[in-house]
Amino acid sequence: MPQRSPSQNTTERPQLWSSIEELSGDPSFEAWVNAEFPAAIELPPTARRQFLKLMGASFALAGLTACEKSPFVAALPYVDQPVDDNPGVPRYYATAVTLEGYAQPVIATTYAGRPTKLDGNPDHPVTQGRSDIFMQAAVLGLYDPDRAQSPTRRGDPVTWKDVAGHFREQRANWSKTQGEGLRLLMEPTTSTTLLRQIDALLAEFPRTRVHTFEVVGRTIRHRLTRAAYGRSLDLHYALDKCEVVVSFDDDFLGPGPDQVRNARTWAAARRRHAYEPGVRLFVAEPVPSATGAVAAERLATDASRMSIVAESLAARLGVAGASTMEVRDPERYWIEAAAPALKASSGRNVVACGGCCDANTALWVARINEVLKSPGQTLNFTAPLEGPASAGTLADLIADMRAGQVDTLIGIGANPAYATPVSLGFADALGKVREAIYVGLEQDETGDRCEWQLPLTHSLESWSDARAVDGTATIIQPAVAPFYDVRSVHQIFAMLLGEIDPSPDGAVRETWRTAFGDQFDAHWSQALRDGFIAGAAPFVTGMSVRQELLPQMGAHAGSTDFDIVFHPDPTVWDGRFANVGWLQELPKPLTTLTWGNVVSVSPSLARHLKLSNGDLVEVAIGDRHIEGPIWVMPGQAANTVALSLGYGRTRAGRVGDNLGYNAFEVIPADGAGVIKGTLRKTGARENLAITQLHHRMEGFDFVREVSPSHPTLPEPSSEPSLYPPWPSAKNAWGMVIDLDSCIGCNACVVACTAENNVPVVGKEQVEAGREMHWLRIARYYTGDVEAPRSFFQPVPCMQCEQAPCEMGCPVHATTHSPEGVNQMVYNRCIGTRTCSSFCPYKVRRFNFYDYRAPEDSPLHAADNPDVTVRSRGVMEKCTYCTQRIEAAHAAADKNNRAIRDGEVVTACQGACPTKAITFGDINDPQSEVSRLRRDGRHYVLLEEQGTRPRTTYLARWRDSEEEQG
Amino acid sequence: MTQIFSPAADTWLRLFLVTSLALTAGGAVMIVGVARSDYVTSVDFRPSQPVPFSHRHHAGELGIDCRYCHSSVENGPHAGLPPTKTCMTCHSQIWTNASMLAPVRESLAENKPIVWTRVARLPDYVFFRHDVHIAKGVGCETCHGRIDEMALTYRAKAFTMQFCLDCHRDPAPNLRPADVVTAMGWKPQGDARATGDSIIAHQNIRVGELTHCYVCHR
Repeated sequence: MPQRSPSQNTTERPQLWSSIEELSGDPSFEAWVNAEFPAAIELPPTARRQFLKLMGASFALAGLTACEKSPFVAALPYVDQPVDDNPGVPRYYATAVTLEGYAQPVIATTYAGRPTKLDGNPDHPVTQGRSDIFMQAAVLGLYDPDRAQSPTRRGDPVTWKDVAGHFREQRANWSKTQGEGLRLLMEPTTSTTLLRQIDALLAEFPRTRVHTFEVVGRTIRHRLTRAAYGRSLDLHYALDKCEVVVSFDDDFLGPGPDQVRNARTWAAARRRHAYEPGVRLFVAEPVPSATGAVAAERLATDASRMSIVAESLAARLGVAGASTMEVRDPERYWIEAAAPALKASSGRNVVACGGCCDANTALWVARINEVLKSPGQTLNFTAPLEGPASAGTLADLIADMRAGQVDTLIGIGANPAYATPVSLGFADALGKVREAIYVGLEQDETGDRCEWQLPLTHSLESWSDARAVDGTATIIQPAVAPFYDVRSVHQIFAMLLGEIDPSPDGAVRETWRTAFGDQFDAHWSQALRDGFIAGAAPFVTGMSVRQELLPQMGAHAGSTDFDIVFHPDPTVWDGRFANVGWLQELPKPLTTLTWGNVVSVSPSLARHLKLSNGDLVEVAIGDRHIEGPIWVMPGQAANTVALSLGYGRTRAGRVGDNLGYNAFEVIPADGAGVIKGTLRKTGARENLAITQLHHRMEGFDFVREVSPSHPTLPEPSSEPSLYPPWPSAKNAWGMVIDLDSCIGCNACVVACTAENNVPVVGKEQVEAGREMHWLRIARYYTGDVEAPRSFFQPVPCMQCEQAPCEMGCPVHATTHSPEGVNQMVYNRCIGTRTCSSFCPYKVRRFNFYDYRAPEDSPLHAADNPDVTVRSRGVMEKCTYCTQRIEAAHAAADKNNRAIRDGEVVTACQGACPTKAITFGDINDPQSEVSRLRRDGRHYVLLEEQGTRPRTTYLARWRDSEEEQG
Repeated sequence: MTQIFSPAADTWLRLFLVTSLALTAGGAVMIVGVARSDYVTSVDFRPSQPVPFSHRHHAGELGIDCRYCHSSVENGPHAGLPPTKTCMTCHSQIWTNASMLAPVRESLAENKPIVWTRVARLPDYVFFRHDVHIAKGVGCETCHGRIDEMALTYRAKAFTMQFCLDCHRDPAPNLRPADVVTAMGWKPQGDARATGDSIIAHQNIRVGELTHCYVCHR
């Protein structure tokens, strides 16, 4: 690690901006910030009489709040207490939740039998304890009050006995016809048990057919591997072995089943050396992504030009058959930067493609990888994990449905009536099916249209199994018994196979009894304890790249229409998480949008069409169109328009209904990554709940950078202070956040929300700047608006040693602990909000309303019992997860020892997929956090304020030496 | 010209001032007094229980250790109430037909918990941990009083914040050696403070760090 030397004193201060309006110096923006500063939002005027009435009533009733029904409450002990169950002590279960059918291995924390928090399983070979937003938020889905709660037929409640009885009747028919007319529709699954049950069903009724569908995710990659290698393959990048990575619109650090593994290995590679970044990333993409945001060189290029750039790069690298194409200046600059880097790192690099890429791009990328000797070293292949292998397509199914050949359709999850291209017409074809049965977690758009609605258990209530992205299997065990009258998918399949009342774990045990053989019991309990069964899928080798090129997208070459690309939404995915409040309120990376989706366009296109943020536009593709609000995205390719899926739902539930537009209306049915379309301004406008301008700090160099030639920043100064220093206890807590590792994924924010009972406030409150997240990911840009560089900066409470908030509070509701934590005492707070106005970092959040769920809501069960649930009128903020600090103190004190380094892990630190957050004792010079505080990249946010924060940062590496903008 | 004020006006004014001062002061004293009264702090009140369980008999006369029933006191934040099965370890053998114990037998037969009324209770915003107090030598008796003399259980000490803070500021007089943590009526031999100080030194009790807010509230 480079230590500081006084001679190196080059501070690099990029000129940061956070929105287009700010960059352009628009005077109306200045006026907007001053007049409509969110904290001072104008609310509808309250009449004076009304005000006096309310105040009078409040005073009169205030006295009553002291009254308690009775100081004596009931205490209920167990009848038969489970062994080792101590009330108030959490228990941990290794299990998994799933995303796109892949296991996300978790450790579920349960209090008195109810799960409250999920974290990555630290022993798992893929995630190694890291997590993402979907894993963190899955626990809220468990307690969703809008879940389907009992089986229904045509809307009337039925019992599971009726269901099993009906299946038995049907089985008699199917055995006569060999299952003719019985169809299953599902998304691909990695569950060994489910695949075994499907095979058993197909063996019994051979004329039954299974169809799978998937609009986002693997389908795209398999389309590309089929083009390049002639077969469907899963790709595995060994990023930790790479020195250079080139990506053609492959957002491998973005949300999805692979995010955790890729982010972990990428960060490990990035931290390989202390004197320079260990891996450099070159990204060509039409729409800014998390991957593009951390790239050394990012090229904004239209989707339709991707294969041209890929072929030119191939030609530059001497790939046979590639000819140098005519490229534009930025493209040439990017190729000239990427090509030598790739040449110099042969065998230690990889080229990736995904997203909107076409078959030819995939082909060129595959050939480049071969020339660079990546396969087998940094790029590995496995056969697809998911099945069933013999599945037909959705299009075939719909054709058969229309032709009246489908008597019984059993849909298993994934909501096909919503989450499939509307042009395929699944929802209409459903009407032609004699009997439709939907098996799902929610009574969603599909369940609504089906005769039978059979509710499923949540992963955390189920016995099941699934495989992680590398093929390692996890046995999913329940962390809690089902709350409602629901069954797991395996139980429902067992009923289809003739059982009347199948046990929850019978099918899963049966699967693994075969796999484990003689020593079943030992292996089974070992697998449940570990949370996984060691053994990844074997790599496939000897892959040959196809030689013939496919015809170019010549049909559209002369078109003046825009390239329209589609993305799953970064927080609600394809709409399946639409009713999870934590994910709706999570600011989406880069846009910081909440509670909706936008049509994102480039700044040059916006200028050309006179569009600004919030203008409604009509996007037309062929004869289909949707209407959505504009977002001008800095760094987006000029001719590309991006739509995001997952919104416009009508039967998601109370949280997710009627938000945004539904991009499934216009998505191409053939799965192509890009399509041509037009854009028309309607003249109307929509308010967007954007958080990027909330909680603004006053200052200029929030994010700092270092470069290999100037790898250190000046030592943080220790200017004298007028305030006396606080005497420190044995431990002095501090946090260091590495901005070079942060990919802006938001896992920390959701983890904090789950751990600290942070409320969801809703769209209107977010628009008013009242979101409650204790931790925000500030997003800044530098440079040209068409090709800016992006920065993410997580900002929790700085826990200042000389905290302005403490000086401001008139009632001592915020005080300083001897360990350096700035404490918030809710019971003392009278809500003057002085502390917040004194805070230079704007990290304090005020409960303008009582944001708690209604008293009878199941959502209360998701609350962490170790943290107070706050009421209306009090201030709150990051506490450094004080409940975890105190738990560590109790554990250490009981054993009469000191707290070990790494014993206290804050929720944000535990969740971070790149280990960007480090927490510990700064009084201990050997601790990891102290080591990082001595690093040459260490700096203090708003140092000139003299607040002496305990939360500090490590500067981001600048990959290229040259100065920008 | 007539006088505005009568000759008694001055007296009335003085009387008024004195009375209002007295009322204010008296009111303040009364509010504090009520807040600390046994009535408000629920001290010395015996709520009705489904079974008239006697700690005097079980803990005092029979000498059963506290931890036999309150088994998680050393392992977690809550001491724990005994499950019905714990009662039945003895009462399946003795007093098997006592009418007093009918609710216990019913609980076991119907697999429904006995609905006790909680006696020792802290507000929701206090995060008290039994285990660390026991480990550091705070006796049961220190907070719960002479349980071994209670026929029906009651709250012996007012669980006010001051009660907690007095000890967190100066734990020495209230500490005892580990082997007598559950003992009732234990008295230190010699100087209580000297005993406490040696325990503080031996147990590394973080005196001075125990009074900040987040120790108990979060």
